[in-house]
Amino acid sequence: MNKSLHITLIILITAVVLTGCGKDKSGDSEDITELRWVTYDTGNTHLDAREIIEAANEVSKEKIGVTVDLEFQSLEKINLMMASGEYYDMVFTSSWINPYDKNASLGLYYDITDLVKEETPILYDSIGKYWECAKVNGRVYAVPVLKDMGAEDMFRLNSDYFEKEKGMVIPERMEFSDIEPFLKAYKEDNPEKYPLAMDKSGLPGYINFLERVVDPIIVIPYDQGEDVQAIPFWECKELMDRYRLLHKWYQAGYIHPDAATIESTVADKSFPVRGGVAWKGYQGYSNPADWGFNVKTSIYDGPYLSRTSEQGSMIGICAACDRERATACLKYIELLSTDRRFRDILGYGVEGKHFEYLDNGTVYRLPAGTDRYLTRLYQTGSVVNASVETTDLNLPADPDQWKDVFEEYDNNGIYSKATGFAYDPGAKEDIITTLTAIYSDYAAELCTGTSDPDTVIPKIRERMEKAGINEVIIDINNQLDKWKKEQK
Amino acid sequence: MKREVTKRVKITAKGSKNRKETRELTLMSLPAIIWYGLFCYLPLFGIFFAFKHFTPRPGESLFKNLFINSPWAGLSNFSFLLRSSDMPGIIFNTLFYNIIFLAAGIVIPVFLAIFLVELHGKHLSGLVQMVTVLPYFLSYVIVGYCVYGFLATDEGQINHLLKMFGSNAIQWYQSPGYWRFILIITEIWKSTGYSMVIFLCAITAIDRTLYESAMLDGARFMERVRHITIPLLRPTISTIFILRIGSILSSDFGLFYQVPLDSNSLQSVTQTLDVYVYKALMQQANFSYSAAASFLQSVVGCILLVGANLIIKRIDEDSSLG
Repeated sequence: MNKSLHITLIILITAVVLTGCGKDKSGDSEDITELRWVTYDTGNTHLDAREIIEAANEVSKEKIGVTVDLEFQSLEKINLMMASGEYYDMVFTSSWINPYDKNASLGLYYDITDLVKEETPILYDSIGKYWECAKVNGRVYAVPVLKDMGAEDMFRLNSDYFEKEKGMVIPERMEFSDIEPFLKAYKEDNPEKYPLAMDKSGLPGYINFLERVVDPIIVIPYDQGEDVQAIPFWECKELMDRYRLLHKWYQAGYIHPDAATIESTVADKSFPVRGGVAWKGYQGYSNPADWGFNVKTSIYDGPYLSRTSEQGSMIGICAACDRERATACLKYIELLSTDRRFRDILGYGVEGKHFEYLDNGTVYRLPAGTDRYLTRLYQTGSVVNASVETTDLNLPADPDQWKDVFEEYDNNGIYSKATGFAYDPGAKEDIITTLTAIYSDYAAELCTGTSDPDTVIPKIRERMEKAGINEVIIDINNQLDKWKKEQK
Repeated sequence: MKREVTKRVKITAKGSKNRKETRELTLMSLPAIIWYGLFCYLPLFGIFFAFKHFTPRPGESLFKNLFINSPWAGLSNFSFLLRSSDMPGIIFNTLFYNIIFLAAGIVIPVFLAIFLVELHGKHLSGLVQMVTVLPYFLSYVIVGYCVYGFLATDEGQINHLLKMFGSNAIQWYQSPGYWRFILIITEIWKSTGYSMVIFLCAITAIDRTLYESAMLDGARFMERVRHITIPLLRPTISTIFILRIGSILSSDFGLFYQVPLDSNSLQSVTQTLDVYVYKALMQQANFSYSAAASFLQSVVGCILLVGANLIIKRIDEDSSLG
């Protein structure tokens, strides 16, 4: 290699390094703080996001002097962002995407325990008892988004077929096993078809009746009495019974034989029975225009409230923020949680273009809304403070729906006794990684009923015990005992 | 042969004196050098991930996070690879398939190329080339669904045929026995055409007069292949062999994950190291672990590559690299 080549190489490398380091933040104009807010992209359309964020910024600029630059990012991008130390102000964090417990214990989020009480007392009061799920070692690192805090798992049935044609009755609540006669009736009429919609991730929410410490391998059942303990999933009889039932249905031909390799069944609208996770009164599943028939839901589980379910959506603030910026973040979240009209902008879009208000105060999406901005409410802050959506004009939704839902949580909710407990895997992470890999060898066939749990579970058990699952369980239970003592 | 080698050495020695000529040549290779610098040498610092307990802090640069904020972890990042009791099976699968692909990926294309050269009809030869190369440009996701079209339990073509002849349908995605063959056939179908083109070029570069004189001496087709084509193809074959052996612990993720649709029952025959690493780390986003896994693959690959090159050098110096 000669000199000129060396020089070119050096110039290139320095150029690359310099562009990497030379980022600087543009100065704020007129005391308006612009926040970079990264939320999870569920894959729904948000083509008009730019325009809608502009509209929201107009309002928030006037009210609190804060604007946001809202980005929808994929799971991989968020993970990479957290790992590379990229700067953001607010980020979507939860029990299922961008793991809150792990990141909070790594110190990635701002400790808002005192700040939220001092600066935004209204926000603090509105969250109430649900702060518990955000506690890691007694400190709070994110604001839980008030939404369906408990998991209610339901079947969604074609009521035109079952009620009108077959004369069956779809009850408001049923047991998991009660769906069998419905499946059987359909199968008898259509022997070539499969009544229960099922893809490789299984029936949505079928495992929500357990709190998962290491999802879904090590669980804490709800009904344990005072002595809360973590157990491996195979020790939970109820779950095993569900797997056996699913296997029975699979063999009876109620489930597609290739279910364990099917990515998604969304495109096939013909299934008369589907699973779902939502809350009482939710209308999103019942729009006949979406399905071509009327849908009735029947809840079989819940509402179960646990750390996992309450952490469904949270907003974390970057640890690198200074106090001023963190306060701006909290103020913005507070505005989202208190000002309904403002909240509806990020939730549904621009009034008159993407949605309109109905007479009873609920929201009805216009065609531009369903085509160009169909995000889920939990992606953009408080769900409870947003107006309720009506999907069928003939059947307007109850605008005060959330009051009922939260009353139900207070009265009939089944609460986990370990909601404030966060497990710190520490040096056990390599075992957990191995367990996850082992579990994924069986997961799809187990939850679709393809494999017989009585032959597969002993195999999983043997492999997991070899990989050291007992060490992890002992570690969890030790931490759990310590946590229980601190609570008293 | 020996004389040729010394001649070549002389030419390069002479060339290095002539600066002007080399400058032009270096300039021509500049794009490749830049590419290698940016994508192969610059990211080398990522090796540190494998030996660090990576704990990033937001708002700070990646370099600071990696070198200053993260404590050293020794070899502990590698332990998750050893935790799994089915690691021997995974390594076996990786090596098993790669060795078969290595052998089949050379033997089959070489013979196809030899026969294709003998085809006199130009149009037919062009058609054969096009048809065999085409699958190479399909992504494995698409190939996976094509295979599914054949093997699906309910709607698959093969099960339709089986039912037509009165036998029972087979649940392909739950029957690991067949999959070693299915995967090998799929891989050969997809990659043969592309490697064939390389050998085809090498064969067309062989001096035709050699064949003519052999024919005059009465050599038949197989004799010409044995005494002219294969010996002269040897350097190309060994180059490709050396390059491929370097990636013997890596596997085409698409083939082993997308084509079997990640079916659970097939894990025992489809799980290779790459698939395992993906599945273990997909949910956790632990960069240190994934860096450790790929570092291990590269080290083993590097040792095998250098070793194979040394052995080839012993046997036939001309065919080795560097």
